[in-house]
Amino acid sequence: MKLPLSGVCLMLLVAIMCVSSAGCNVVRITLNTPLTPNDVAFVVPGQTTLADVIAKLGTPDSITESNTGVVATYRFLDMKYSRINFGWLLKPFSPVDTDLIISRTGFGTDALELLCDSNWVVTHQSFLRRLSDQRFNPNPF
Amino acid sequence: MLFFKPLTGIIVLALVMIQGCAFSRGTLGEDIRSESVAAIKKATTTKAEVLDLLGAPDRLLQVNGRDVFQYYRYDAKVGSLLLILVNFSRVSIKSDDLFVILNRDGIVEDVILSKRTDGLNFRFWPFGE
Repeated sequence: MKLPLSGVCLMLLVAIMCVSSAGCNVVRITLNTPLTPNDVAFVVPGQTTLADVIAKLGTPDSITESNTGVVATYRFLDMKYSRINFGWLLKPFSPVDTDLIISRTGFGTDALELLCDSNWVVTHQSFLRRLSDQRFNPNPF
Repeated sequence: MLFFKPLTGIIVLALVMIQGCAFSRGTLGEDIRSESVAAIKKATTTKAEVLDLLGAPDRLLQVNGRDVFQYYRYDAKVGSLLLILVNFSRVSIKSDDLFVILNRDGIVEDVILSKRTDGLNFRFWPFGE
């Protein structure tokens, strides 16, 4: 396949016209490694110690005191943002910058909380929210 | 007349399609040096020695009647792939956390360290894991 120079020039011209800005943005922000119930399936309340959990998951992000012992919290975030600018389609034809943008952000914040007794044995464990696997979805409506 | 071979055409097209890429990095806090942490010995090192080795803690907690010094550091790496039609960005943030648990006499009872930032890479692709 051979492209004539005029074809390449046209292609480059169209591409350069389009370079002004992108029509879509896909952004993902991950804070720490998101945990799932499978990751903490090894925790047996009344038996597993905080040291066992730390050996597998690393240190918690915070340790606070409660009336019955200690609360260890693992925080994580899996934020997904997507945006489409339909106005971008008019850029080659319109003398003004037109924008018609739809976007949506899913803040996938969650935390695993472990309640330990005074001997550092885990007595309860739970996720703050139960997040399902979110998708990139720019539709805000 | 000048003609392009298909491979050249693909390379030119790829170069034109990729507007650019970006690498950014942000850190919060000082690096937790492993040598300093290794110098802390359980049942031997005192509170004053911990402060001398690591400085003042980022957070001071009281848990189970013990003082807990928490030191942390955050590292964020951002990779962006800028194409003509679509931009992909991925921000990865991880933290190093160190907890030094001191008993009522001010002697180190336990040291817990996680260095998650060691395996932190620049990523561009926002989909999948």
